[in-house]
Amino acid sequence: MASAVFDLNRRWSSQDFPELGAAPVPTEPCISTEYFELEKNRVFQRVWLYVGREEEIKKPGDYIVRDLPAMNTSLIIVRGSDGVVRSFHNICSHRGNKLAWDKCGSCRSFSCKFHSWTYDLKGALIGVPDEKMFADFRRSEHGLVPVAAQTWEGFIFVNADLKPAQTLGEYLGDLGRRLAGFPYAEMTATYAYETELKCNWKVALDAFSEAYHVNTVHGRSYPETFTGKNNKQCHLPEVRLYGPHRSAVIYGNPNHQPSPAAAVAYLFGESVTKRTSNLDELPPQVNPTRSPEFAFDLNVIFPNLILHILPGTWFTHQFWPISVDRTLWEGRAYWRPAKNAGERFAQEFNNCVLRNAWLEDTGTMEATQQALSSQVKTHFVLQEQEVLIRHSYKVLEDYVQFYHRSPPSKAHRKVR
Amino acid sequence: MNHKLPGTFQALEKFVDDWALATQNERQRRRAACTPDELLKFYNAMLPRLEKALSYLNGLKLGSLPDPARRLLYLTLSFAEVAMFAECYEGKPQVPNSFEETRFVAVGGDRVG
Repeated sequence: MASAVFDLNRRWSSQDFPELGAAPVPTEPCISTEYFELEKNRVFQRVWLYVGREEEIKKPGDYIVRDLPAMNTSLIIVRGSDGVVRSFHNICSHRGNKLAWDKCGSCRSFSCKFHSWTYDLKGALIGVPDEKMFADFRRSEHGLVPVAAQTWEGFIFVNADLKPAQTLGEYLGDLGRRLAGFPYAEMTATYAYETELKCNWKVALDAFSEAYHVNTVHGRSYPETFTGKNNKQCHLPEVRLYGPHRSAVIYGNPNHQPSPAAAVAYLFGESVTKRTSNLDELPPQVNPTRSPEFAFDLNVIFPNLILHILPGTWFTHQFWPISVDRTLWEGRAYWRPAKNAGERFAQEFNNCVLRNAWLEDTGTMEATQQALSSQVKTHFVLQEQEVLIRHSYKVLEDYVQFYHRSPPSKAHRKVR
Repeated sequence: MNHKLPGTFQALEKFVDDWALATQNERQRRRAACTPDELLKFYNAMLPRLEKALSYLNGLKLGSLPDPARRLLYLTLSFAEVAMFAECYEGKPQVPNSFEETRFVAVGGDRVG
């Protein structure tokens, strides 16, 4: 039995993306501290990174703080009185103390807990106790150091490069256009997990970037949900590359038989495994034929965000490098706020379903890292369906090589 | 006599003390600490009454449930917590071959409701 619209036996690497090669991929980028430093300098301090949703800072003065070892900094992301979202290094200009300490909050100004230097929401220095004791002092020279911040569909991205080579819109390019228009902002009920994984950030990213593992890792938790008679190996119905970004459709079995609990959840609300939701909620370019053999759209926004969309919900994974073998992983799912107990139940059921899947996904990662660090094996062997991983290492290497020729601008670090 | 649960759901009263828990973290800890036998007993008692319970609760305002209805909601949320363990892992209270669950931090896991 073939799929009506998808080629479920497509050899994605060799048929569609031969330029990515077919050779095994070196594991060195996952274990080399030198490579890790290059990634920090040439990727994480150069490109747009997702740091939060606009709904998290709805009102003027609302702020979030992100500690980002990958950018060697902590950032404040704050909504100004003018409604504009801005970001600053979370560092007092006086003697370098951390300015905002809470993970989130709301304020009219930021005041340092060391000597009470105070900054407004645009980062301007507005208060210095005993100011006359500073010689030749101009407040205008000592504002907070800004970081470029732009938004797309309510997603806030920052860029450590104050004059980024591309706007966020240009950076997201056709992938941004593909994913625009989904009702992200309506789905604000958030269910989230996080943990520090003792593995390289790419070991974690890779595990979430293919569906080859589904039978082995999730076989017990999701019988014949993402596989079916015509797709026993969870082949990808669709793969597309968008510059440094990449996307795939994950197959959903339209004849999947829900468990007794899932069947009740389906009656009362949305679900990640339900196949009868309104596919027209998807943007026109995602599953354009509205095929029922669609579970969700998986999108890797380079370098460290996976954004999945499906009718009724969206969910993300984000991987924040801490060191070559430590990663902060964050998994988050978003639903429309429950209007009644039935919807609340369906969301809680799905939260447990996703959590259990993520416990299975993360189960391999630390052992993999340990094994890689032994260097007994020096290459990953990738099959046709693992093409997103192949693309990931290729893009990363391109960035590392490209910026080898152009050292990073430190302009924003100078005292102005 | 004061009932812990709304009238038609009193068959579930014996589960209230153990499973009518207000936060995700409490429900998760309870599940992780129980035996397969306890887990399956709770699952089997809840499943045939689940649809009725949710239909009943849908007739009330979610934000201002009276105490007996609120306890019933918490029971359904605990059912959501245990369901996969009953259906996929034979009642064993841990996900087989998985990451250390205690290291997974639920952001907002202490939210009531």
